[in-house]
Amino acid sequence: MTNQAALVLADGVVFYGESFGHPALFPDELTLDRSLGTGEVVFNTGMCGYHEILTDPSYAGQIVVMTYPLIGNYGSDPKWNESGPEKGVSRKAVKATGFVVKHLYRGPVPPGRISLHQFLQNQQVPGISGIDTRRLTLHLRDRGTPTGVIVRIPKGKNELSRSQLKEVVTFLNAFPPMEGRNLIGEVGTAKAASVHREGGKHIVLIDCGTKAGIVNQLVTLGVRVSILPSSVSLGEVLNLKPHGVLFSNGPGDPAVLGPQIELCSRLIGKVPVFGICLGHQLIALAMGGRTFKMPFGHHGVNHPVVDLRDGRVYVTSQNHGFAVDPDTLPAGLQVWMKNANDGTVEGLYHEELPVRCVQFHPEAHPGPLDTLWIFKEFMNYT
Amino acid sequence: MPARKDIQKILLIGSGPIVIGQACEFDYSGTQAVLALKEEGYQVVLVNPNPATVMTTPGLADVVYPEPLELGYLEEIIRLERPDALLPTMGGQTGLNLSIQLYESGVLDRYGVEVIGSSIESIQKAEDRGLFKELITQIGLESPRSQLIHSIPEAREIARELGFPLIVRPSFTLGGKGGSIIREPDQLEPLIERALLESPSHTALVEESLLGWKEFELEVMRDRKDNAVIVCSIENIDPMGVHTGDSITIAPIQTLSDEEYQKMRSAAIEILRAVGIDCGGSNVQFALHPRTGRMVVIEMNPRVSRSSALASKATGFPIAKCSARLAVGYTLDEIVNEITGKTASCFEPALDYCAVKIPRFELEKFPESYRELGTQMKSVGESLALGRTFQEALNKAIRAAEFGFEGLEELTVSREELERMVTTLHPRKIFAAYTLLKQQGESVLEELAKKTAYDPFFLYEMLQQAELEHQLSRKGITPELLRQAKAYGLSDRRIGKLTGLSVEEVFAKRTKEGIHRTYHFVDTCAGEFEATTPYFYSSHGEIDEGKPLENPVVILSSGPNRIGQGLEFDTCCTLASFAFRSLGRKAIMVNSNPETVSTDYNVSDRLYLEPLTLEDVREILKKEQAKQVIVQLGGQTPLNMAEALEREGYEIVGTSVASINATEDRGLFAQLMNQLGLRQPRNSMASNPEEIWRAVKQIGYPVLLRPSYVLGGRSMFIAYSDDELKEFLQRHPQITAERPVLVDQFLEDAFEYDVDALSDGENVYIGGIMEHIEAAGIHSGDSACVFPPYKSEPEILQEMIEATVKIARSIQVKGFLNIQFAAKDGLLYVLEVNPRASRTVPFISKASGVNLVESAVKIWSGIDLKTQGLVRENGIGVGTCITGWAVKEAMFSFDRLSDVDPILGPEMKSTGEVIGLGESFGEAFAKAELSAGTILPTKGKVFITVHENDRKAILPIAKELEALGFQIAATRGTADYLFQHGIFPEVILKIHEGSPNILDHMRAGRIQLLINTPLGKYSQREDGYMRIEAVKRKIPYTTTTSAAAAALEGIRYLLEERRVPKSFNTAFAFKKQ
Repeated sequence: MTNQAALVLADGVVFYGESFGHPALFPDELTLDRSLGTGEVVFNTGMCGYHEILTDPSYAGQIVVMTYPLIGNYGSDPKWNESGPEKGVSRKAVKATGFVVKHLYRGPVPPGRISLHQFLQNQQVPGISGIDTRRLTLHLRDRGTPTGVIVRIPKGKNELSRSQLKEVVTFLNAFPPMEGRNLIGEVGTAKAASVHREGGKHIVLIDCGTKAGIVNQLVTLGVRVSILPSSVSLGEVLNLKPHGVLFSNGPGDPAVLGPQIELCSRLIGKVPVFGICLGHQLIALAMGGRTFKMPFGHHGVNHPVVDLRDGRVYVTSQNHGFAVDPDTLPAGLQVWMKNANDGTVEGLYHEELPVRCVQFHPEAHPGPLDTLWIFKEFMNYT
Repeated sequence: MPARKDIQKILLIGSGPIVIGQACEFDYSGTQAVLALKEEGYQVVLVNPNPATVMTTPGLADVVYPEPLELGYLEEIIRLERPDALLPTMGGQTGLNLSIQLYESGVLDRYGVEVIGSSIESIQKAEDRGLFKELITQIGLESPRSQLIHSIPEAREIARELGFPLIVRPSFTLGGKGGSIIREPDQLEPLIERALLESPSHTALVEESLLGWKEFELEVMRDRKDNAVIVCSIENIDPMGVHTGDSITIAPIQTLSDEEYQKMRSAAIEILRAVGIDCGGSNVQFALHPRTGRMVVIEMNPRVSRSSALASKATGFPIAKCSARLAVGYTLDEIVNEITGKTASCFEPALDYCAVKIPRFELEKFPESYRELGTQMKSVGESLALGRTFQEALNKAIRAAEFGFEGLEELTVSREELERMVTTLHPRKIFAAYTLLKQQGESVLEELAKKTAYDPFFLYEMLQQAELEHQLSRKGITPELLRQAKAYGLSDRRIGKLTGLSVEEVFAKRTKEGIHRTYHFVDTCAGEFEATTPYFYSSHGEIDEGKPLENPVVILSSGPNRIGQGLEFDTCCTLASFAFRSLGRKAIMVNSNPETVSTDYNVSDRLYLEPLTLEDVREILKKEQAKQVIVQLGGQTPLNMAEALEREGYEIVGTSVASINATEDRGLFAQLMNQLGLRQPRNSMASNPEEIWRAVKQIGYPVLLRPSYVLGGRSMFIAYSDDELKEFLQRHPQITAERPVLVDQFLEDAFEYDVDALSDGENVYIGGIMEHIEAAGIHSGDSACVFPPYKSEPEILQEMIEATVKIARSIQVKGFLNIQFAAKDGLLYVLEVNPRASRTVPFISKASGVNLVESAVKIWSGIDLKTQGLVRENGIGVGTCITGWAVKEAMFSFDRLSDVDPILGPEMKSTGEVIGLGESFGEAFAKAELSAGTILPTKGKVFITVHENDRKAILPIAKELEALGFQIAATRGTADYLFQHGIFPEVILKIHEGSPNILDHMRAGRIQLLINTPLGKYSQREDGYMRIEAVKRKIPYTTTTSAAAAALEGIRYLLEERRVPKSFNTAFAFKKQ
């Protein structure tokens, strides 16, 4: 098999493979305005759940590497989308900017599904297969997560020329790094929407790129959910007289989300405030804490999280590259949960105020459903 | 919570001898439990009569009782030891059932023994199919529609409701024993009857057929804080209908979406919660309808299992060790993940490879039992391989299973036969499916998916290999195709076959292209954290991890269990690794058997889970830059590589290859025997039928015929007459110069002996001499034997010692030496010399109190036997039994293999072994029999039917039995003879003589012991039905006069009604006196 595509990392490391999904750009087609297939390269250790991962809004701006080598085995639901679920608003399904696998399954899929190749083609996202994802993962683990791009190899060639490679690396180094990137506008809703109007309690969801699962879980609990754009003003939120405000997950660096941090800090004390993933980071920042970029983040479905109240450990679904620095937390804001592996902050609570948030994804999709109770826990404070 | 302080002494029950369905996975789990509990500071009392295990090695547990796994002995041990707690979950179904018995009989209460690891209530909830089903319904899950039945009429009723086919599962049996598929009404009665017979509670579940549904297993751990993790998910490539132990499986699950998987995951945890498993691991099985997605719960095992051993090896998560820790009070978050050394055990391993398991059957040995697989497990072993593609893992696993396939290969059978194979549950179904895919391409895939019920995913990936193979055959060996073929796990031999090249040519080609294996860590976390525990598998064309160790010794183990090469060899390898490491030497283990202790990554400095083939081993040696290889511990598998490895420039540790050849090559061996003045049975080699006839004329009947190059005496044959010889020749038409037949004088009525010895080239230590209880002609692996010899001439024993010393010195044995002798009419014959560790090394080590493997390792490390203190001034030492007498009895799995005549012969059939220790021969024998599941009667009726030649020998035994109060019954001929000599037996008809005949009597429970000595292969067959019935009814039977005499001794001991447990440790004290 001749090489059809390459994954180039900003540090000059190249992996050659076969292309699938949407055709990638040729090296000379790349510009900062035309950057299909470019993003921070992160690895996910989940062994299935690829269409949940691809359509997770928090992967905006990232190329996802699956560490599990056999991907695409059960096909794809052509309509799958983890964002939404407001009616009449169609959001882009696949948020990841590229997909990297060791072995892509290209055979027949169950009725009603399409192949993963077809799915990515429809969603205009390039993929590359046949590469040594183990080598790549160890590289990312040891050296951090650089910007990378999937490019097409010009016809008749098997590799990129030295000058092409140089060109691509120059492009990657000019590309904005994840630290400092604001991506929530790309994936969050632009228009307000309301779900389950007949619900009892009313929660405002500040949509920085929410996963549908979050909304669905609230609805399951009989909650009315108002989904608001992340650019919403304090007044607009308070006018709705919600029982609580939940800051959603989302992509990018939380530290640069000035208006959202501001909104959050002004809401705290007025209404109960909750957060998931990016929302959790926003709460920490709003109360004076700091966040930092992790070396390679947590992306997977097997991360153990300890609830410090009773020592219970939950297996959680995670997807984040930034974390809250526990040494910067203001008085009153306490660590609720910790990662059992690396000790990073996985949840916060306030001693007096109704403020609760978690770093992981209790709504799962993909991943274990063991922490669905978090939503109930939130509602206990409304 | 940290470890409990209120308990100090813990009783652990092992699973006993290896049988189909309960094999060395429980040595692995038991050994892990022992080590974990010892690390936590507890005293461990272990009961397990299986001497071949690692777990029973003195020095691991505090006390080891190799006593029968039976209520009486257990109670006596509990009375003596007064343990605080009992851990019932490590010894398989045997351990679990015995624990329930101890509880129900009040023993645990009486001695204040607490059950830890799993409560009796939970065990009952999980094991009682009725209770379990109720519980599943309560938590909103679905079970197959079914009903618990107690009788045949009840079964008929439910059959009317559910229709056929139906699945029958007897309650409380292991390995699905007694289970079956009823396809039509006619089969209902016999199959239900058998199921009810097998079930200790005489109940069985009759359920709707889920044939063709997808089958999945989850390995779950849960602790008292309700923390729960799925260690491993397993998908059975073979659909429902084939016992999971017989299925080809893959981990993790491949064909479920996250939604489907999470539903199953949550259900599994909910089931553990409902059953109440809160300090250990369990296995939960699901079936999923391939189209509707309906999910039903099949069963759960509230203990460690074969699947949990597999899961531990597939993921690097030590389930048994963790379970033991949970049982004494820890929670999952308090246990560190050993592999990463820093993360917690309360997580779910993420794999970045797939792990394929292949079962190994004994198709050649028991063809009649393997026409079709079913719900009763029939495989005797398995191999596991990890790979970065499905093809790679599959091909490696098939190759590693060592049943003659290099990997996925096409079969050369007719189209009709292929069709039959893919539409039934044929043990070679996957090969038939591959053949059709390769012949017909993608067009056949959909239809094949329907016929085989394999998920299209697997078939499509198999098709990819077929297409690559077509290209290879067409285009030859281009570098690109070669790379692809290696990434798919094809062996050099397979590539050579496809391209018309020799193995060496393929090897040369890929060396030129620099295509070698690369190795990855098994790290439980898909590379997220750095691994500190070295457990490796190979891939191709990827990053190579791990630097070579400094001057390591590489131990080649024995691969999947099979009849003739089992746990004993694996134990030798494990003990060698321990010994090398305690001497400060780095040890590397190579093995592909996921069940064993040797593939525990803690056993060695490094573990390579790889096939034991020359190609795979060579690559490991290259990677490690190793010089020294151990081939004499793992049985025939590594020994077969010795010559080639030496040619490659590697040092074969111990006895030289030339010496090995001197014992294996017939001509050289005869020469050696001549030189040393030793006697062999008259023998000859024949490469065509005429030569055989000529040889037999010279040697005289009876003759032992051995086709060359067979393992475990396969196809061996004793001919007593021209007719029998003719039949042999008919069955073996392809005798050639390359595949000759050895013709030996058969020493009928000889006494046979096995000697296990060690030598450093000069000094010789004889670990022990064992005398076979079974008569000559029965494979040594199947014969009960006694150490030291019973009623043997001291002169003959002395002659054996001298012969052993002569042989060891003349061929410069460095390490192990096993010799088989026979004595007849005062003459000693040397039957066989094997310069390697034999099957009986663990038995002799334990019975004599000398760890022979450790001693061998010391020899290889330059510490001679004199320095070790094992030999006297004359350079000779001889071991003695620690309690006076030790009997080894073979364990068979005939009851799992329907329609197999349990008659013993020169071809090995046993799957395991037990030991009985005693101060008298009778005690040792009675215990060994009891441990092997044979309950010798103390009253009742003995049925005797013996060959004319044996009548004289049987007479005193019959008299003795009568004097002990037994009634005697016999067939007409035997009865006449007994009558003439003063016994008045009841005459019972043979089956063809009318009825009621012997079968009716057996069925009615009127026979307690069967003494039957057939003679000659063909007269043997006539009595087969009797022995088959005896196996079914669990009636003890003997097939030789010497065994009958031994049974008599055992009965005498039982009549004394004493139970004196012997431990290996108290036995040491006994020896010192």
